[in-house]
Amino acid sequence: MSGSSRGTKSEAVSTAEMEKSVLRLEVNYRGIFQKSLAYRITNDLVYAAHSEGKTAFSNGRYSDDPQRNGVPCANFAFFSDALSEDDLEAVASASMDIDRANVVVVLDDTMVKGLEPWGHYGIRPINEKVIPGGTLLIVSRRKPEELIRHLEKKTFDYNIAILPGDQSFAGLWYYRDDATDVRTIAAVARVAPEIVGIHSVEEYVKKKYNDAAKVKSLQEAYDSVVVREVKQSEGIAWPHSKPKLPSWDSFDEGIVVKSVERGFTLGPRGQNRNPNFKRGTSKTQRPVIRFDTCIKCTLCWYDCPDECFDPTADGLYDVNYEYCTGCGRCAQVCPVDDCIVMVDDLNFEDNSSPWEMYKRDAEGYVKWLEEKKGKVRFMPSPVTGKGVRHTEIKAAVPFKQDGGN
Amino acid sequence: MTTELVDRKIYEREELATGTDAVAHAVRLADVDVFSAYPIRPYTGVMDRLAKFIADGKFDSEYIIADGEHSQFEIAKHASSVGARAFAGSSGTGWLYATEALAATATDRLPLVALVGNRALDDPGAFGVEHNDAMLVRDLGWLIVWASTAQEALDTTLIAYRVAEDPSVMMPCAVAIDGGYLTHSQHIVKIPTKEAVQKFLPPYNLGTRRMHPDNPVSIAPQINEDWGMEIRRQNWEAARRARGVIYRAYKEYNEVFHSSYANPFFEEFMMEDAEIALIGMGTVTSAAKAAVKLLREKGVKVGYVKLRWFRPFPAEELRESLSEVRAVGVIDRDFAHGGPDDGGVLFNDVRAALYHSSNRPQIVDFIGGLAGREISIEDVARMVRITANHKGEGELVTWIRVREGNGAGMERKGGD
Ligand code: SF4
Ligand code: SF4
Repeated sequence: MSGSSRGTKSEAVSTAEMEKSVLRLEVNYRGIFQKSLAYRITNDLVYAAHSEGKTAFSNGRYSDDPQRNGVPCANFAFFSDALSEDDLEAVASASMDIDRANVVVVLDDTMVKGLEPWGHYGIRPINEKVIPGGTLLIVSRRKPEELIRHLEKKTFDYNIAILPGDQSFAGLWYYRDDATDVRTIAAVARVAPEIVGIHSVEEYVKKKYNDAAKVKSLQEAYDSVVVREVKQSEGIAWPHSKPKLPSWDSFDEGIVVKSVERGFTLGPRGQNRNPNFKRGTSKTQRPVIRFDTCIKCTLCWYDCPDECFDPTADGLYDVNYEYCTGCGRCAQVCPVDDCIVMVDDLNFEDNSSPWEMYKRDAEGYVKWLEEKKGKVRFMPSPVTGKGVRHTEIKAAVPFKQDGGN
Repeated sequence: MTTELVDRKIYEREELATGTDAVAHAVRLADVDVFSAYPIRPYTGVMDRLAKFIADGKFDSEYIIADGEHSQFEIAKHASSVGARAFAGSSGTGWLYATEALAATATDRLPLVALVGNRALDDPGAFGVEHNDAMLVRDLGWLIVWASTAQEALDTTLIAYRVAEDPSVMMPCAVAIDGGYLTHSQHIVKIPTKEAVQKFLPPYNLGTRRMHPDNPVSIAPQINEDWGMEIRRQNWEAARRARGVIYRAYKEYNEVFHSSYANPFFEEFMMEDAEIALIGMGTVTSAAKAAVKLLREKGVKVGYVKLRWFRPFPAEELRESLSEVRAVGVIDRDFAHGGPDDGGVLFNDVRAALYHSSNRPQIVDFIGGLAGREISIEDVARMVRITANHKGEGELVTWIRVREGNGAGMERKGGD
């Protein structure tokens, strides 16, 4: 018996007609930290669209579970004003992930640097699934240009929309209601009224929450969204390798993957690490290090749960940002004031070695670093548990001429 | 104990051995590095013999006693993953207790060879043979082969390593032998020399998959749904490739040991010009062959097919072998309550194979020998009679040698 299927011409079908009325929405969020928030958004959108007589349903990406802190996850919602529930399910959701979306929502702007869901090798661009003319809707305090410089260049024009706001912490264990849920729904109504109109959203939110403040946030969010077209010439050549899914006969049998080769040398990247799963896209902030004030106590190196520090010949500790998940542990344990500080990762373009930069030009490095840090120290919601906390410092610690030698 | 009858270059001696002794010799001769154990009848026979080999300095191996069959098979699986040739065995309910490890050994594609001394499942606690225990793993990616004599048990264990460890297969193999009948009765067995075995069986080589400090690998990581299909497909292909490897292995075995295994998948007994065929596995073979011989003397054109390899199942070869017969009777030493037409496991596999046969013979099923009940020559003769006269309609299953009453007890049960 042959294992091949015997196809006939009559099997060929086209779903093009069904596709015409289908709208897809993806919500990218930080695993655990924003899980409840993401579910609220997709669920409320479905309810609101349903109130307009549309067919709609939502689902969470199965492969994200069990979620890991900060690791990028996704929820989906599907809408149609023509298809039955069964047909929409069949045409839109037969796969575990989606390959295109009319609207891609991003609940944490640092995800524009790429996504590494834990079950995949490689880093995916956040705008991967946006269709021509579709919209990438990001909750951010940044200007569109500051985000576009991290996005992969696409082969067609699309839109970027900014909903002004912070990374919301509305997580698994604790739901901090900062109205990001209803604000995001309003923003979707703004950029894609074909999914749901703002009036239906308003009616739905009134009924569900009976809360004047929530309703007010809706209108405020709707008006505050900034939309701008992204030309196909804009963006960057993607610097990471993307996930590849090989055919059954092109990878080794036996479910075996190479582990980290044993190996260590002093200096940057001297510790062997897993080249296939870097986890660095989990971070919203990165630790920056004042090597000039470092007292070489080893604590950052010792405590980092992801073994990101590389000891150097001069007794300092370089950090490999590709593997840093931004947990903030090193900043907490460092005994020297303002020596390790967590800084918004969007301020940085690449993951190159800070120690090498310091060795080339110590003073220049410290100056550059203090500019990146600014005067405001930032604590993200996952750390405070109560929303973003900003603290201002008066003046930077002065450069220490012979420090770190 | 030695006689002039054996070729001393190939065989070290003849020995009066049980089925479990024979398997223990094979394990010793295959130079197994790690074998794990937990006592259960009839596997205890192998444990005892291997312990004695080690004590006598005839065998160098890690003998690990586990705290139960689950750990026992986990130990064997892990040993196999670091490149050690491993062996384990159990039976009945012990084998079932190891199920999680058994499934993972197969999906991890580790070529463990295991003995299943077939034994009825609990409850009720019984020690006699039933084939359901080994059949538990039939769909999981295990190769399964039945041996019906002590000599065949020895040969088959060596062949099992050859097939399982072939780089194009890499699947675990269960060698099944009937508990009680084969495991505890003693027959003269030819014990090969180590040199001859080495000629036949190359060293176990896991290649780049071998887990070792110098070759750090992770085995069986969590995968996502977008890899699972491809991994199952690889395994499916390996099971298909195993058929070709089994042919090669028996050919090589015949060459080294001057044995005469013809078709490796099954033995055909008096099948030339047969119009009626019975097919079965394991020790029922002796009664079946004797009955066939007696019936042939009376002019009945009957033959017997002794199936060895149950996975991979030789559908193509069976169609060929049964292409001229008019009716087939399958002897199931197993049960599959509520299965298609209430037949046993083997019945429905054979029937599925014959669906694509050009002459599609009548086929009926006999459930017998459960929990170790004997199957006599007369029983087999009765099966031949029923097979020959069956119209192919109505009840297809006959229970053999079950105590029948007048049906009075059934009235309370209700139903149709
Ligand atoms: S923030 Fe610091 S401790 Fe946490 S992963 Fe990054 S380097 Fe390691
Ligand atoms: S914890 Fe701070 S002071 Fe200690 S080695 Fe690390 S950077 Fe230097």
